[in-house]
Amino acid sequence: MAVCVAVIAKENYPLYIRSVPSQSELKFHYTVHTSLDVVEEKISTAGKAMAEQRELYLGLLYPTEDYKVYGYVTNSKVKFVIVVDSSNTSLRDNEIRSMFRKLHNSFTDVMCNPFYNPGDPIQSRAFDSMVSAMMVQSS
Amino acid sequence: MSVPDYMQCAEDHQTVLVVVQPVGIVPEDQFFRIYKRISSVNQVNVRDTQRALFIRYRHHYPPENNEWGDFQTHRKVVGLISVTSCSSAKEWPQTAERFHGQKELFGSTLYDSRLLVFGLQGDIAEQQRTDVAFYPSYDNCPDVEKRVEDFVESIFIVLESKRLDRATDKSGDKIPLLCVPFEKKDFVGLDTDSRHYKKRCQGRMRKHVGDLCLQAGMLQDALVHYHMAVELLRSVNDFLWLGAALEGLCSASVIFHYPGGTAGKSGARKPSISAATDTGKRHRPGALTTSGISADTSSEIGRAKNCLSQEDIIEKYKEAISYYGKYKNAGVIELEACVKAVRVLAIQKRAMEASEFLQNAVYINLGQLSEEEKIQRYSVLSELYELIGFHRKSAFFKRVAAMQCVAPTIPDPGWKACYRLLLETLPGYSLSLDPKDFSKGTHRGWAAVQMRLLHELVYASRRMGNPGLSVRHLSFLLQTMLDFLSDQEKKEVTQSLENYTSKCPGGMNIITLPDGLKLPPVPFTKLPIVKSVSLLNLPASLRPHKVKGLPGQGVTSASPFIYSPITLHSRGDDRTKKIDFQWVQGDVCEVQLMVYNPMPFELRVENMGLLMSGVEFESLPAALSLPAESGLYPVTLVGVPRTAGNITVNGYHTSVFGVSSDCLLDSLVGVKSSGCTVEVVPSLPRLQLSTSLPRSARLCGEDLSSSVCLQLFNGETQQLVITLENIGSETLNTLEMSSKTLTTKEKLFGDFLSWDLQDALSRLPLKPGQAVTVPVDIHAKLDFSGQENLLQDLNDDGISVTGLPISSPLRQVLKPRPENKQVNADTSKSEYNHVKTLEAVLNFRYSGGLGQVEGYYREISLGVKVDVEPSVFFTRVSTLPASSTRQCHLLLDVFNPTEHELTLTARNQQLILHSSECQRMAIQVDKFDFESLPMPSHDVLRQSSLYQQEEERQQAHGGQINSTLDLRWNIISFSCQLLSSLCSSGEASVEGVLTQLVLEHMQLAPLQWDVLVNGKACDSDVVADCKVGDAVPLEVKLTNRSKSPVGPFSLTVVPFQDYQNGVQNSELQDVVTFIGSNSFYIDSVSPAGNSTCVGALLFLYTGDFYLSIKFQDDSVGRDLPPASFCLPSVHVRAQEPVEVAA
Repeated sequence: MAVCVAVIAKENYPLYIRSVPSQSELKFHYTVHTSLDVVEEKISTAGKAMAEQRELYLGLLYPTEDYKVYGYVTNSKVKFVIVVDSSNTSLRDNEIRSMFRKLHNSFTDVMCNPFYNPGDPIQSRAFDSMVSAMMVQSS
Repeated sequence: MSVPDYMQCAEDHQTVLVVVQPVGIVPEDQFFRIYKRISSVNQVNVRDTQRALFIRYRHHYPPENNEWGDFQTHRKVVGLISVTSCSSAKEWPQTAERFHGQKELFGSTLYDSRLLVFGLQGDIAEQQRTDVAFYPSYDNCPDVEKRVEDFVESIFIVLESKRLDRATDKSGDKIPLLCVPFEKKDFVGLDTDSRHYKKRCQGRMRKHVGDLCLQAGMLQDALVHYHMAVELLRSVNDFLWLGAALEGLCSASVIFHYPGGTAGKSGARKPSISAATDTGKRHRPGALTTSGISADTSSEIGRAKNCLSQEDIIEKYKEAISYYGKYKNAGVIELEACVKAVRVLAIQKRAMEASEFLQNAVYINLGQLSEEEKIQRYSVLSELYELIGFHRKSAFFKRVAAMQCVAPTIPDPGWKACYRLLLETLPGYSLSLDPKDFSKGTHRGWAAVQMRLLHELVYASRRMGNPGLSVRHLSFLLQTMLDFLSDQEKKEVTQSLENYTSKCPGGMNIITLPDGLKLPPVPFTKLPIVKSVSLLNLPASLRPHKVKGLPGQGVTSASPFIYSPITLHSRGDDRTKKIDFQWVQGDVCEVQLMVYNPMPFELRVENMGLLMSGVEFESLPAALSLPAESGLYPVTLVGVPRTAGNITVNGYHTSVFGVSSDCLLDSLVGVKSSGCTVEVVPSLPRLQLSTSLPRSARLCGEDLSSSVCLQLFNGETQQLVITLENIGSETLNTLEMSSKTLTTKEKLFGDFLSWDLQDALSRLPLKPGQAVTVPVDIHAKLDFSGQENLLQDLNDDGISVTGLPISSPLRQVLKPRPENKQVNADTSKSEYNHVKTLEAVLNFRYSGGLGQVEGYYREISLGVKVDVEPSVFFTRVSTLPASSTRQCHLLLDVFNPTEHELTLTARNQQLILHSSECQRMAIQVDKFDFESLPMPSHDVLRQSSLYQQEEERQQAHGGQINSTLDLRWNIISFSCQLLSSLCSSGEASVEGVLTQLVLEHMQLAPLQWDVLVNGKACDSDVVADCKVGDAVPLEVKLTNRSKSPVGPFSLTVVPFQDYQNGVQNSELQDVVTFIGSNSFYIDSVSPAGNSTCVGALLFLYTGDFYLSIKFQDDSVGRDLPPASFCLPSVHVRAQEPVEVAA
């Protein structure tokens, strides 16, 4: 289902970005990059309202002709972005949420690695395989 | 309608559209000058009302858009101002004709028109016409604004009349159906009498009246009309017009809520700020006067009721847009409504909703758009995204617009526009073109998209025909994105960079773009990557030294402590630290960089040199080629400081792929350096040293400029001629020479190196190119004593070398060795290699030029290494007393360890020794008066310990003995390999073998006893003659040479006869008689004094007599060595007096 999964640091640079190989990688870079505008906007508006009880899941960031972009922000302002194919209409909001949760758990594992420097690109194999599973599962 | 106006905003609904156009040929700049003046009149307060009229000017307006004028009256061209140049009256009719033609174009909608004629003078210009104004020139038209204002007022009158006309038209029986162009055919044959149709007509008319009210400055009325229109149209499902009515409602509400306008400053319409700010103030009264009632609260309430709230505005906009969306032909209207809504939302700071509107706008299909329109559309989208703070989205669309500029379908691609737009996208991708922003650690960003953008910049700038720019961008790409480039990409990028630089080499200049953007230079600090910078000291022979004791030296430390474990200086910046060595002006100095090549291919770095400051510096650039992904690679950069002072290494410059870069160390990350500032001292002369002997490998442990190595036999002397040439550019003024013998285990006798510098000094000052020679004598004089193992070896032969009483002065004690022993010796020779090594360093200290004034000098040193082969060994030394007390025999057991025949000469004696032969040599020597040797000065005495004093004394004694002996050896047949030197000679020394005992034996007694017989001094070998019967006077004289008084002594003279068979007869009472006492008494003798006592003997018979003088006192030996009491024995031969007489 997911065609692209990205983890973006607090300072808005990518820690991890992976897309299905069939498509142009650059396109997804652009998609995820521009989606950050919406993420930032959502955080800033939500942040004012209630900083503590903010929901991590941001929902659909924006739909494009071919894809739907979903966002998720951890409490430490690390962003997860999942791009799914628009044609995949069977996908429910709950499934997206569970994908993000899985992603978050796996990311937490990465951060727990004492040899990982926060801010460095993620190169964890476990994380990678989890993302692969998430992307295969769909098709 | 096909052409959208992306600049539209909600408040445009209250403006009237006036088109300003040139007629005939009008210079563009002149036209726009006039246009600008005209468009400054964008708001006119109508004279007798308090209402204001807003005017929107366009110099270009498509007539098909005009056809939508009934739908939204602000789209209707109601005024036309034509600008024309007319130089003569002849042209006038033609111009008037054209003006009329232009009027025709918008004819159906125009309320009024004006023609501004420039340049025409004369009769025609004199006539007063309302629709034409004549001006002599473009510069001389002071009342243009006034004219325009009048014109606007006339428009207002028409507008107001139309409004009143329509608003009061309540009959309803014949309301025309207003429709948009594409609707016209739909209504053909429709029943015009149906209630539905009538309602529709009413609704549309209400909406139209609302528009007119809004334009005429009657906001309140407009709102009322719009509300009514919405009601009417909703009931008949006339969606397009319902949308328009809703939008009108929104516009009016926006105008009420946001008197400042929503277009912002970036809007293309130039509403002056002052006009915008007081818009509200002005048209509120306008709204109030509509019903002829003065301001009161009820109307306020009424307006507030009619007016939409901020939330509702967006809701209504959404609704309107959804209605528009039902009509394919209303795409432009929908798009413009979206844009207007976005502007409103931007002011309300509701970015999310705005982005939804924009997202919708993106998908509105306007049919076939021209390329130019596409660019405009994308640019506007980008601008609007920027407006709502979506910088990334904005950048994305700007980039799309840029790409659109150069789409392949465009016959004439606008690369410049593309480049300009691309530059504008940079902030959105958080990319600056300053490499300094990327020097802080690893780059973090959207490398993929950034790289793409940079590639596009490179390509665009190249197509623009600005290779310098593309080189700059490509360099930037290579420098900042190096970590993200794949190997293949690295190759491609460098290849294209080389292609570009072949046309336009890259440099360090700042490129300024026409729009003022400055592109800072991009130094290639990663090609190659420099890991450390270290300044190298000069080679030892060229290092300057400061003359000690000059002021300013040694007091540099700020701390009062000589040593403190607490380092006071900060650990922080090592680069500012000064290095504790100096460079010399005019001499090549070196800086070593550790570099590595991150590229997957060989990197050619050309013209690599140093960037220095502080001192005039001549850099000598180097070219290097680094292998692919090399490890750390040392590179030495050289240069010559031309003046003196403190020099600082700021960085280095390189030229890679045709791009020259200046890399400053400050901006480099992770460069290790132990300081970058060094002092350059004024120039000094340089000496080159060459010797008569071949050079050899360096001696260990010492930092020497050169060294010589030679082989000598122990005791041999060789002369070494050293030539010193001044190869520098300064005159050499002083030259000093010193030597230092390196500590060896060997004991060295005499001066190892001796020289005469007088000749060389007399030739100073030495001008550049001149040379002096210094002869140096090398004496290799080591211990000649035999070693333990050698003694062992000798003992094996069964010959005892100890304590043999030898009467013959020269006697062979060693037989030639047996043959079997010889073989053994050969094999064992290698085991105890007797070759010893002597090392010394000759130092030349010289100075001259300016450096000398500053107190600097240089040192050049020559290492001398001598392998000393043993020549002779004195295996044992002993003494035998000679017949005279003043003399003794020195017995030397001499061993020849060489493979050659050896001759040893001592004074007049000669001894020939075969290889490995040992012989004893006896040399008769006078005893030495060591007391007469000059004593070392008191200073020296005080400094050295007692042991040292003793050592020194012994050495001095040895030296004296040695010089007396003058032992020389001569090797006659030298090794056959060196045919040239057949003979070798040298001196031998016994200094090392002399023991304390031997020395004592050889020392003259401090008490000198002289025995005089018949007034003649009598010593052992001298036979004193006397006659029988004559009294023989005997005189004993004591000279005290010691430092203390001696005595008193009493002596007894005992005569005896030696029968030469071991029997001595002392019973001579009847043969010899004493005249007087036979014992003498000597009083105590003070130092350097003497005492004499005299007696006499009478020999009664002839014969050989000996006189033995003995001490009576036993206590004499208590404080003086026994040698002191060694009195010569006296040999007296008594003869017949007759014979004597005969």
